[in-house]
Amino acid sequence: MSPAQHYVEHYRTLALPGRHLPWLRRLREEAQSRFSEAGFPSPREEEWKYTNVSALEKKLFVPSVGTPTAVADTSALARLRLEDAWSLVFVDGIYSAEHSVTDGLPEGVIATSLANALERYPDRIEGLFNQAVPQDAHGFIAFTIAYFRDGAFVHLPPGKILDKPLQVIHFSTRPDGLSVARNLVALEQNAEATVVETYAGTGDLSYLTASVTEISVGENAGLEHYKLQSETVKGYHFGGIYAREARSARFRQHHLAFGGLLARTEIHAHLGLGAECELDGLFLATGRRHLDTQTLIHHRAPCGTSRETYRGIAADRARGVFSGRIVVHPDAQKTDAEMSNRNLLLSEDAEIDSKPQLEIHADDVKCAHGVTVGQLDPEAVFYLESRGVDEPTARNMLTFAFANEMVEKIRPSSLNRLVQDELLSSLPQSDIRKDWL
Amino acid sequence: MSATAKTLDKLIKKEYAPGFVTDLEADTLPPGLNEDVIRAISAKKNEPEFMLEWRLEAFRHWLSMEEPKWAFVHYGPIDYQAISYYSAPKTREPPKSLDEVDPKLLETYNKLGIPLYEQERLAGVAIDAVFDSVSVATTFKEKLAAAGVIFCSMSEAIQNHPDLVKQYLGSVVPPGDNFFAALNSAVFSDGSFVYIPKGVRCPMELSTYFRINAAKTGQFERTLIIAEESSYVSYLEGCTAPMRDENQLHAAVVELVALDNAEIKYSTVQNWYPGDEEGRGGIYNFVTKRGDCRGRKSKISWTQVETGSAITWKYPSCILRGDESVGEFYSVAVTNHCQQADTGTKMIHLGKNTKSTIISKGISAGRAQNSYRGLVKILKSAENARNYTQCDSLLIGDRCGAHTFPYIEVKQPTAQVEHEATTSKISEDQLFFCMQRGLSAEDAVSMIVNGFCKQVFKELPMEFAVEAQALLGISLEGSVG
Amino acid sequence: MLKIENLHVRVDDTPILKGISLDIKPGEVHAIMGPNGSGKSTLSHVLAGRAGYEVTAGTVSYLGRSLLEMKPEERAREGVFLAFQYPVEIAGVSNIYLLKAALNAIRKHKGLSEVDAMDFLKLVKEKIKAVNLDEQFLYRGVNEGFSGGEKKRNEILQMAVLEPRLCILDETDSGLDIDALRLVAEGVNSLRSPDRSFILVTHYQRLLNYIKPDCVHVLAYGRIVKSGDASLALELEKKGYGWVDQLVSVGA
Repeated sequence: MSPAQHYVEHYRTLALPGRHLPWLRRLREEAQSRFSEAGFPSPREEEWKYTNVSALEKKLFVPSVGTPTAVADTSALARLRLEDAWSLVFVDGIYSAEHSVTDGLPEGVIATSLANALERYPDRIEGLFNQAVPQDAHGFIAFTIAYFRDGAFVHLPPGKILDKPLQVIHFSTRPDGLSVARNLVALEQNAEATVVETYAGTGDLSYLTASVTEISVGENAGLEHYKLQSETVKGYHFGGIYAREARSARFRQHHLAFGGLLARTEIHAHLGLGAECELDGLFLATGRRHLDTQTLIHHRAPCGTSRETYRGIAADRARGVFSGRIVVHPDAQKTDAEMSNRNLLLSEDAEIDSKPQLEIHADDVKCAHGVTVGQLDPEAVFYLESRGVDEPTARNMLTFAFANEMVEKIRPSSLNRLVQDELLSSLPQSDIRKDWL
Repeated sequence: MSATAKTLDKLIKKEYAPGFVTDLEADTLPPGLNEDVIRAISAKKNEPEFMLEWRLEAFRHWLSMEEPKWAFVHYGPIDYQAISYYSAPKTREPPKSLDEVDPKLLETYNKLGIPLYEQERLAGVAIDAVFDSVSVATTFKEKLAAAGVIFCSMSEAIQNHPDLVKQYLGSVVPPGDNFFAALNSAVFSDGSFVYIPKGVRCPMELSTYFRINAAKTGQFERTLIIAEESSYVSYLEGCTAPMRDENQLHAAVVELVALDNAEIKYSTVQNWYPGDEEGRGGIYNFVTKRGDCRGRKSKISWTQVETGSAITWKYPSCILRGDESVGEFYSVAVTNHCQQADTGTKMIHLGKNTKSTIISKGISAGRAQNSYRGLVKILKSAENARNYTQCDSLLIGDRCGAHTFPYIEVKQPTAQVEHEATTSKISEDQLFFCMQRGLSAEDAVSMIVNGFCKQVFKELPMEFAVEAQALLGISLEGSVG
Repeated sequence: MLKIENLHVRVDDTPILKGISLDIKPGEVHAIMGPNGSGKSTLSHVLAGRAGYEVTAGTVSYLGRSLLEMKPEERAREGVFLAFQYPVEIAGVSNIYLLKAALNAIRKHKGLSEVDAMDFLKLVKEKIKAVNLDEQFLYRGVNEGFSGGEKKRNEILQMAVLEPRLCILDETDSGLDIDALRLVAEGVNSLRSPDRSFILVTHYQRLLNYIKPDCVHVLAYGRIVKSGDASLALELEKKGYGWVDQLVSVGA
C-alpha cells in the first residue's frame, strides 16, 4: 500500500475538525489529491537534495483515535514545561485541556486549540489559514492540510502584550503514532508576545510529527518565537514555520534542534515595509541523526532588515544540513540582509552540507553571507590541555562554548535553562560542569 | 535621468565590434541530427572507426537524456533538428601553409585583431584559429614541435596521435556526463589539442580563437590538454560571432589532465555575440569544462572573463584527485541588457592536503540576470583539505538580478571550508563623489568596476588582461541609469 | 627540578634545536635570551608538549620523570605552566570556568577533593586584584577581546591560581608597555618561592630589570652559546645580538 492510500484509509473514519466549513473541506480535498499524487518530497526536488525521506514511504504511522490519552510519563512532560508560562499541550496531536494552563490570559487574547477555534471563530481562521505557506507547497505541507487533527490557535488583539511566554507543547506517547498539527499565531498591530513551541516524545519511541505553524505579525507588532525540537532518538519530525510581517513588524525566531532521527524544519519569513527579522538557530546532530534546517527570507518591500545566525554541529555518524536563502524582490530597495552559518564537523563519519543563497532583484541593497565548516581550533585545544584539562574535556568545553553562544541569545530564563540542559545532555560526553557555568 | 546616467547611457549605443559576417562559400550539412549526420561528420573528417563508434554511443546516450532545467536562466525550447551540425569554409585541399588559406579568412581574423601571420602576432603566443566547425590555421607549430609540444586541431590529433586521443578523450568529461556534453561528444567537429611532454615548460602562450560565422549552425568544439609530469602550459581561448537575430548554440567540452607536479593555466575571454538590447539573438553558451588534477602536487587554474553570450551555462571545475593538488577558479562575469549567466565552479576534493580557491565577481546591469553557482565537496579521503570562496556581486541599475547559489558538502572533519559572499551596487552617491573630485562618469564606473575585478584580472596573462579590461568597459557602457 | 640533556628538535625536517642542555634547581630563575629565530619559543613549546615538534635526540627529566613521555595535560597537572607568547582567545568559555576546570583537574591529580565554590571565588578574587584586572574579566570568554597587556596579566592570574612548580614565560614581556611590564613582573616576583622555578624566555633585557635571574643563557642557532649570571644580560644588551655571532664563530 502506498503511503497516500494508507493515510486515506486511516483518515476515512476519523472525524477531522472543521468538516462543517466548505472552504476548509475544499482545501482538504485539494491537498489530499495533491498528496496522493506527489507523496512526500523526493531528493530529486532541489530543496530536498540533502534530505531523503523515503523511509516514510515504507514506515507507515497511525493517527490516534478518540480522546487524548493521559500522559503516563508525566515527569517527561513536566521537564519540558517552562515555569511561569501559559501553555497549550497537545498529546499525540490532540489538545489536552488537562495538561494546559490558560488561566489569567489578558482579556481578549485567545489561546486555544484550533479544533475548538474552528467552531467558535471560523471566519477569523479563514482569513489566516494557509495564507503564509508557500504557494508551491510540497508534499508535507499538503499532508498537514489534508490531515491535521488539531493545533494551537493564538490571537492577540491590537496593543495586547503578553508578559509571560506562551508555550505550545506537542508531545508524542504512542509507538508508530502520527501527529499532524496546524498552528496559527496572529498578532494584531502593536501586540507583543513570546511563543515557545516544544516538540518531544516518550522514551525512544518511533513516531512521526508533522506540524505547520503560520504566523501573522501585524503592523508594528513584535513576536518572539522559539522552537525547541527535542524529539526522541527514533522520532521523525517535519516542522514548518511560515511568517508574514506587516509594516514595521518585528519577528525574532530562534530554532534549536537536538532530537529526532530524521528531522527537518523550514522557517520562512515575508517582510513588509521596514520590517525586521532575526533568525537564530543551533543544531547538534549526534548518533545517526539527520537534522535539516531550511530558512527563506523574502524581502518584499523596501527598508527591511534581516539578520540570520546559524550554528551547526555534527558528530558521530550524523548529518547536518543547512540551507539559508535570502530573496530581495524588485521593490525591496534599501534592504539590509546578513546571514552567517558556522559549522563544526567533529567526526570522520559525520557530514555537513550548507547551501547559503542570495537572490537579489533590487540594486540598492546590502547583502552578505558567510559560511564556514571546520573542526575545533587545535590552538585552543592545546591551550586548555596546557592548563591541565584532558583532551576529551577540552574538546567538549569548546564544543559547548560554540553552541552556548546561541543558547545565550534565548531570553526567557526558564527556556534558557531548559535548552542548556538539552545541550549538555546531547554532547558526545557530558562532562561539562553545569554548576560552574 | 540624472546627468551621470545620461553620460553613461550615451556609451551604450556603441556596437558589438566583432559582429560582422564573412561572406564565404561554405560546405554546410543540412540542418538535422541523426546517426547519418554523425556518420557524415566522421566521414568528412576521415576519422578512424573507434571515433565513429564513440560518437554514436554518445548520441544514443544523448537521446535518453533531458535538457537540464535547474539553472537560473530562461529561454524557449531549442529545436535540435533545426541546427546544422557542420559548416566549414570551402577549400579544395587543406591548406599546407598560411599562404594557402583563403584571404577572406585571414582578413576576418585581422579585423578581429588576431593576425595569423607569425611575424605580426605577439611573439610569445601560438594560435589555433577555429572557424565554425574547423580549424583553419595553427601558428608556430614548428617552434613548439622543437620543444616536444603538440599543439594542433583536434581533427589532426585524431589522425596523427590516435593513441593519446584514445587514452584521454572523455576521461575527464565522459560522453554521458550531461546533456550538452553528450551532444558535443556526438557531433564535435574540431577544437584544439595540446600535449606537453614530461618536464617541459611550454615556451609560449597557446591560444585558440573561436569564431562562429555561418547562420543556423552550432559550434561544438572539443579541447583536450594533457600536461605530463612536471610540465607547465598557459592556454587562452577567445570567442566571437556575428550579430544575428536568431540564437545560435555553442556547446563545447574542455578536458584538462594534469599529472604529477604539472600545472595548467586556462584562461578564457568569452565575447560571443550577446544579443541586442531587446534580447534578440545571441549565442547560447552551454559549456562543460573540467580539469582533473590526477597527479600529486598538480595544479589547474581557471580564469574566465565572460562578457558575451545571451545565455551562459558554464562551470569550469577541478577534480582534486592527487594529494596536495591545487584548484583555482577566478571569474568575472558581466551581464548587461537581457543577458543571463549561470556560472561558477565545482571543486571536488579527493586527495589529502588539497587546496582550492574560488574568486567570483559578478556584475549585472540592464535587465540581466547573473548567478554564481558553485559546489565545494570535500570527500572523506581529503584530509586537511582547504577551500576559500569569495563571491561578490555588483549591481548597476534596479532592473537586474544577482544571485549566489553555493553548495558546500563536507565529509572530512580536518577540512576547513570558508565561503563569503556580498552584494553591493554602484550608487549615484559614489559616482557623484568621483565626479566631484574631477573624474568623468565613465572613468568612475570603470575605476569602480576594475577595482572590483582586480583580483581576477591579475590572474590573466598580461596581454589579455588589458584586452579584458577594455572589453569590460564596452560591455557595461551605458549601464548606469 | 628540570634537567635537559642534549635536546635536538626538528620541525618539518628542519632542525631547530641542536643540542640544548640545562639544569634548573628548585627556586631558581633562568633567563633564556636570543635573537628571533634562535629556537626560544620552540624550547618552551617542546617543554609544554605542543604537537608538531619532533624530538630527535636528548632527554628532559622533570622531578625525576621523563617529561617528554607525558601528555600536555599531564605535564600541566604535574606543575609545568607555560605562559603563552600569544594566548589564544576562546569565545564562549568563561575565564572563571577555565580556572576552575584547570584547578580541579590538578587537585584531582594530586588526590585532593574539588575546591569549594566559595573558597574558590575568594581565592580568585584575591589573585585577580594582584594582577590589577577587573573582576568582570572572570566572566568574559578566555582572552576574548582582551588587550595585549590584559592577556598577559590573565596568564599570570592563571599561574597564581594554579600554583605550578615550573613556570615557563614565553616572551611574556613582548608587546607590553612599561606599566604593564611592571605589573607582570610583580606578579611573577610574588610567586617566587624556594620550591618553584622559572624559565624566562625573552628577547629583551628589560624584563630582567624587574625579575632578577639566577642564570642567563644565550640561545643562538639552536644552541646555548653562552651562560652566565645576571650581568650577562646587561652585557648582551650593551653589545647587541651581533656579539652573539662572534661568540658562535669563536665557539665554532
